[in-house]
Amino acid sequence: MAAAEPSLEELRQLVAEFRPNRGHLLPALHKVQDTYGYIPRRAIEVIARQLNTTPALVFGAMSFYSEFRQHPPAQTEIAWCSGPTCRILGGDRIREALEYTLGLPLGGHSDDGRYALHLGQCNGTCSEAPQVWVNGKVVGKLTVAEAIRLARRIREGA
Amino acid sequence: MNPALQSLIARARDAYEGWLANGRPKVNVCIDTSSLARGADETLRIIRETAAREGIDADIGITGSWGFCWLEPTVTVRTAAGTRTILYGNVTPDRAEEFVRRVLIAGEEFPELAIAVVDGVSSEGIVPLAEHPFMRGQVRRLMANCGVIDPENIDHYLARGGYEGFARALELTPEEIIKEVLDSGLGGRGGGGFPTGRKWDFLRTATAEPKYLVCNADEGDPGAWVNRVLMESDPQLIIEGMLIAAKATGAREGYVYIRYEYPLAFQRMKTAVAQAYERGLLGTNICGSGLDFDLIVFRGAGSYVCGEETGLMSSIDGYRGMPRIKPPFPAQAGLWNKPTNVNNVESYANAPLILRHGAAWWSSVSDAKDKGTKMFTLSGAIKQMGCIEIPFGYTVRQLLEQYGGGMRDGSVLKGFQPGGPLSGILPASEIDLPVALDPYRERGMFLGSGGIIFFDQHTSVVDLCTYFVGFAEDESCGRCTTCHGGTQRAVEILRRMAAGGGRESDLDKLEELTRTLVWSNCLHGQFALTTVKLALRYFRDEFETVIREKRDPAGVLAGLIRYEIANPSDPGLPDAAEICPTNAIVETHQGWTVVDELCIRCGACREVAPNALKVTDRFAEPVPQPAAAG
Repeated sequence: MAAAEPSLEELRQLVAEFRPNRGHLLPALHKVQDTYGYIPRRAIEVIARQLNTTPALVFGAMSFYSEFRQHPPAQTEIAWCSGPTCRILGGDRIREALEYTLGLPLGGHSDDGRYALHLGQCNGTCSEAPQVWVNGKVVGKLTVAEAIRLARRIREGA
Repeated sequence: MNPALQSLIARARDAYEGWLANGRPKVNVCIDTSSLARGADETLRIIRETAAREGIDADIGITGSWGFCWLEPTVTVRTAAGTRTILYGNVTPDRAEEFVRRVLIAGEEFPELAIAVVDGVSSEGIVPLAEHPFMRGQVRRLMANCGVIDPENIDHYLARGGYEGFARALELTPEEIIKEVLDSGLGGRGGGGFPTGRKWDFLRTATAEPKYLVCNADEGDPGAWVNRVLMESDPQLIIEGMLIAAKATGAREGYVYIRYEYPLAFQRMKTAVAQAYERGLLGTNICGSGLDFDLIVFRGAGSYVCGEETGLMSSIDGYRGMPRIKPPFPAQAGLWNKPTNVNNVESYANAPLILRHGAAWWSSVSDAKDKGTKMFTLSGAIKQMGCIEIPFGYTVRQLLEQYGGGMRDGSVLKGFQPGGPLSGILPASEIDLPVALDPYRERGMFLGSGGIIFFDQHTSVVDLCTYFVGFAEDESCGRCTTCHGGTQRAVEILRRMAAGGGRESDLDKLEELTRTLVWSNCLHGQFALTTVKLALRYFRDEFETVIREKRDPAGVLAGLIRYEIANPSDPGLPDAAEICPTNAIVETHQGWTVVDELCIRCGACREVAPNALKVTDRFAEPVPQPAAAG
């Protein structure tokens, strides 16, 4: 996962299709993230040049959105659904338990990059509430105890 | 009718009807975000593999959602002769092989999993779809194709009346189209209710060029997924609606802005747009009519305020998605400062129906003041989480009891939220309010975009306020201090209350904040504290109990409860100690005890050993209050 940052040339080719003043900033950022799993630092400069704008404006826009990552994703990404049905059915207690079991706040990742915990937004799969997504896959109808066991398995690398 | 469009429709109809009449049984698995969460992709794979292994000659495909989200994965099976179609539910991957054996190989029905008969005579124990309690009283117009067609095949849409509304629009002048939409009484479905026809007329009469259309598919309200259902189940309907708007307004380019959290909707819209281009329904000189319209599917990146139209346009423009002050309105200065019209998915999706059947038909669905049908999703502490389409005017009670299946076992309704984190909450005593715009406006709130959430006695109103205001704080763009500072201050007060530090003066402070935040620049800040405002009106007792008695009637606020050993000899105690994430349950020489400083009140211990521990009020005696709190 921790591959070296892509070269400038590679990045330039990747975003070559995008044009200034055409609403191409978010599509360019998405393309970079879809390719590498995150937005490497030097991609910001490459995109800025391609779109005839400044790195400050690119970084400023990118950092506004919660789904653009500035670091490679962890091996196991756990997203805790923050939606209302999950909350009403005890999701907040699951969050507390996950944070303590993993030793991470929401938005944190383990030092070795093996696992990370995020806040997820409701996508309307509420019949599975309360739920978390492990690498995008729903683990639903969770009890707090099940969430703790899940987090322990991930923490122990099982 | 436009000859090019007529021949497109005729060819699609031939293809679709030929497919229906090909003499093979048809098995269609609903593949949408809700069904995928319950393993529908696995179900589809197993059905395909089993059928292939057994040499079954059947068409196995996909549909969008029927709205029975709590019964996913749903599967429709149509007999080889086409005389009978049955909708099944809960066809989970572990049942998929048996399902194929019984339904396709043995040619029987599977009554245990049957929901309803979609087509053909009903049989014992399986009701016709229209008589299913979840469907009775629903009027499926926008959702007419949902669950029925393959959302990734434009032929299915064209063969079932698709693009007939657009065909009619091609024969009308822009003024005539707008008059039809105005006559229908269609109001914006994003929650505002502003007449869609008037918005279109603003863009039509704008002088600058080029003009843009934007479809707001940023459905960010947690608990609302009506737009997702439409995009994933019938994406062409939205494209047709935008084409009608393009003809009416003179816009030549459009954007569908879809939130990041809807990857499947994004893919389905992209596929649908590509197919529309292939058929010449998008691009230049559409169907030889001289109309040009390009449509771009745009993916958001995780921001709630991008659902606010000016924030959304900043986002497309390539800036931070921060809303700006209106005026100028989008019709004057929108995308790239050019005239732009922004409508919700459901608003555009109604246009084909209005043009195809006429304004009179469209608005005659009920005699409610608000015209047309509206989609809703129901969730919370209820039995059936699903998506419905109804005329305005039904009561919230009917939505809960009939479509939501009532509250879950052990839950008693405490209140509900009509539509999104900024819309406000109401107590159970208001359950007989109709689903309409006015009653909510009169209460200083709004009906919202379609996600209705029901909460029960185990939900603390202080906690609910903390959640919704915390959400608003997190998603505030940060431009105006009124909003970002105001929500922050409110969250601080609410958290302190939940931790047991509530003060008598807090309610006044919260009320002052609700009065202050209405001066925010955009709707986000203006409505950020609606929940608090309504909670202080309808649930004031609960706040007072939390502040004065340091006691939580819902029994959940972490600062006001504690866990104690209920039965020191319960055999489950070692398991409870094992599951505790903070090692708060310990055995000393005096027996088992809960170390209060370590306990995070997650409740895992009571799940594994329900009788070993109990939740009690943290403060046994009411805490004395100073006479004049400051």
